[in-house]
Order: sequence, then C-alpha cells, then structure tokens
Amino acid sequence: MSEVRKPRDPLTGHVKALAKGFKYLVEPNRMTLDYPAETMKLPPNYRGFFTVDDKKCIGCSMCEMVCPPEAITMVPRIIGEGGKTIPAPEGEKEVKGPKRTKRPVVNWGKCIFCYFCVDVCPVDAFIPTQVHDLAFEKDSEYRPSYEDYLKPPEEPYKNSKKVISKADLKRGVSYEPAP
Amino acid sequence: MGIIPLILWLIQDLLYIIIFPGLVTILVVVVIIIWLERKIAAKVQMRFGPLWVSKKIGGALQSLADLLRYSFQEVIIPEKTDKWAFILAPGLMFAFATIALIFIPVGPYYSVLFPSYYTILFSLALIIITPIFAITVGWASDNKFSFIGALREGFLLISYEIPFLLSVVSMVIIFHTYDYINAVQNQLSFLPGIILNPLAALTMLIVMIRTTGRFPFDITEADSELVMGLFTEYSALFFGVGMATPYVELYNFSLIFSLLFLGGWWPFTLNVMNPVYGLILPGIIVVVKAFIVMAVLVFLRAVYPRYRLDQAVRSGWSYVLLLSILSVILSVVEVMFLR
Repeated sequence: MSEVRKPRDPLTGHVKALAKGFKYLVEPNRMTLDYPAETMKLPPNYRGFFTVDDKKCIGCSMCEMVCPPEAITMVPRIIGEGGKTIPAPEGEKEVKGPKRTKRPVVNWGKCIFCYFCVDVCPVDAFIPTQVHDLAFEKDSEYRPSYEDYLKPPEEPYKNSKKVISKADLKRGVSYEPAP
Repeated sequence: MGIIPLILWLIQDLLYIIIFPGLVTILVVVVIIIWLERKIAAKVQMRFGPLWVSKKIGGALQSLADLLRYSFQEVIIPEKTDKWAFILAPGLMFAFATIALIFIPVGPYYSVLFPSYYTILFSLALIIITPIFAITVGWASDNKFSFIGALREGFLLISYEIPFLLSVVSMVIIFHTYDYINAVQNQLSFLPGIILNPLAALTMLIVMIRTTGRFPFDITEADSELVMGLFTEYSALFFGVGMATPYVELYNFSLIFSLLFLGGWWPFTLNVMNPVYGLILPGIIVVVKAFIVMAVLVFLRAVYPRYRLDQAVRSGWSYVLLLSILSVILSVVEVMFLR
C-alpha cells in the first residue's frame, strides 16, 4: 500500500524557511575553527606522528608483526659506537655477527595511527608526539629512510592560538582559549 | 542632427555598452555577487566561506583569483565533440546575455543609435534566445551528464517561459506601453509596479530564479547528480564563461525587475537631458536596486534544497502558470476600473 502524500502548505512553509535562514544570516552561529590561526589543544593521549629512540630499540620486530596495515618494515642495521646504529653494508639482507640488529621504519601512507606498535614495544622505544597535521609533497616523503624517520616531526603552526572546544546548549559547539 | 552631436551620441552609446551599465559594470557586479553568494551561504550554514585570498576584506578577491586561474588554464577539447558548436555555444550564450542589456535603459535619456518604442519586446526576445545555446552545449559535448542537463534545461524552459511572458504582458497592460522609459515614468506618476500587481512580481521572481539556475531550481547543474551539468566537458576560460553567464542573466533580469516593478530610478525624478542627470545618477539607483534583488535571490541558496525535475515541471505548469494568468486578469481589472 503506497500512501499518497499530501502536498505541504505552499505558503507558510516557504515563509518559515526563509525567516529561519534570515535569522541565521543576521545572527551567524559559526562553528568552524579558523584553522591555521587557531588550533585545538589536543587531549593528552592524542595519537600523532611518532618516531623511535635509536638507543632504546632492541630490534625485536614485534612492532612489525603487530602492525595491522603492515606499515612498519624492519631495516638491517649494525650497532656502532655509543649504542647508535649505522647502516648495514649494501647487498647484505641479513647482517651476521653479534652486532647485527634491525630498526623499524614507518610508511606514513599506510599507517593508521592505531599505536599498537607503541603499546606492544617491550622497551618503550617509540617516542609519540601530538603532531597530526603534516602534509607530504612527494610520494617519497611518505616512505622515509631510517635516518629521516629518526628526526622528530615538527608542528606546522606553532604560533597559532590554542583553543579548546566546549559543548554549548545554545550554540552547539563553542571555542574557548586554552588554559 | 548635426555631425558633432551625432558623434557625441555615438560615444555615449559606446560608453553605455562598455562601461556603464555594460561590460565593466557587469564584471564588477558578477564578481561581487559570486563572493556574496558564497559568503551568505557560509554564514547561514555556520561556516566562514572564502577567506584566504585577501583575508582583511573577507576574501572579496576570491572570484577575481578564480577568474585569473580560469584564464591561464589549459583548454581541453575532447575528441568526439562537435567542435564548432562546442567552441561557439558558450561564447554565443554569453554574448546574447550581454547584448540584451543594450535594450534595457537605466535612465530617462538613453539612446543606442535610436530611441526605441519596443525595448521590452527586444530585450525579452534576446533573453529568450540564450537557453537555446545551453541546449546546443549539451548536444555538442558528447557526454551523458551534459546531455541530461540539456534535456532538463529544455523541459524547464518550456514550462516556465509562458508564465514569464505573461507576467511581463500583465505589466505592459497596466502601463500601456512597450517602452521601459514610459513604464518607469508611469510608475513615477502613480505607484510602483510591485504594488499595482504583486502577482506578476511574484511570478517574475520565480521565473528569474528558474532561468538563472539559482536554488531551488538548480536542476540543470545539479552537482551531486550531474557532475557539473551542461559544462562537465569544459575547462579553462570556456568554463568560466559558462559559469558567469547565469549571473549575467541574473543581472539583466534584476534590471528588468527593478524597472518594471520597483519604480526604476524612483527617488530621482529630475528630468534633464544631460549625461550625468539623464544616465549616470538614475543608472546608479537602478543598478543598486538590481543588486539588492540579486542579493535576495542568491540568499535562497542557503535556504532551499533542490527540486526534482518532475516537481519543478509540475509546479511550473500548475502554480506558476495559474499565478501568471491571475496576474493578467488582475491587470485587466485594474485597467478597467482605475483608468
């Protein structure tokens, strides 16, 4: 049984809609954040880009195993002076000997920022940051080399006004300067 | 007439077409109205709108930046198009929308080569030609979205042209003239047209929204269904021209509306044959009135969703046609009892 819908009252509906639109035009209720000028103060456990502590990492590959999108690959390294690693000689896939080890590199095009690797790491070698708004110009920047991956990510808009969002019964969402 | 006054008249006519209220004014008005449309819709929908090009004045130069971008983009003409029609149609569409302006006077003393007693008829004839080129565009593009857009344009064209002409005819009956200047002089001595015949004004407004593709009649260009409607295959300056044409039409229609219904150059009644008092001052008043009408019409974008094609065609053949016939009857009754 299909029901025949009655046409709505042609006059009052239009007048109501126009009046409501005009009301919003005169008293705008703006919810958009003026993004690069003001940015949100992020909650403490916000998951942003992360890098790894070269000295702490033991090369156990558990992060590679747990990574859901398979974004982490382990690169062969050799432990040098002072605990820092140097790249393994070219052509060798597996470095033999007591000084051989591996280090993780993240492909940012694949990473879903689930932080399973950070959680699973037995020595807490990953260094999480809250930087989330980086842009990559080239395809190769998505897949950094290990040396590039070690550099901590820089926050792009450091001088922006920090705000926090607040639920507002009248307006829906409002922004206040962060304490 | 001596040779020197003739040359002066010719110069004035040239300036009329090129500067005021012609091409330069059209460019300024269209740039401002596109920015205003986006800004109004953004305000109602809780956003900022265009902002980052010239932030201090609220992104007002965004449309100019877009125009520059269109001018320097690569022109792509797809292989299977009907090439001559594909290249010529948008230009002709824009040209006819602009030429119609010649027959729309904005002051008591205007002449384009000769004073015409049939300016209403001429301008309407030129305005009605434009949708034919829209259909040509859809046919020439060899693209299903353009073709569906052109078919929709055809359907809507047929259903809304009669109410449009009838609403103008009812004003012609009241003013008893085919000349815009006489029509305005009639209003100056009595009442503005919108009070004399509000039904015709309402019909005219609805038809203006339909013809220029504003919401809720954004059916030929429905971007969620038809990509970009008629202009899907176009790029660069061709696309820019196609996007600007509805706004030029909107400008023409708003000028006609302010001449026929809002009293033309109403607060200004000085009758001096002089370029400043005869054209520029009343012209500014008419253009400002037209701009207000345009601003009201682009405000509708923030309020309305889009009609389906069948809903729009049905309301065209029922409500709007009925309104226009009633407006003609109202005019006839007024003429019988008032004169």
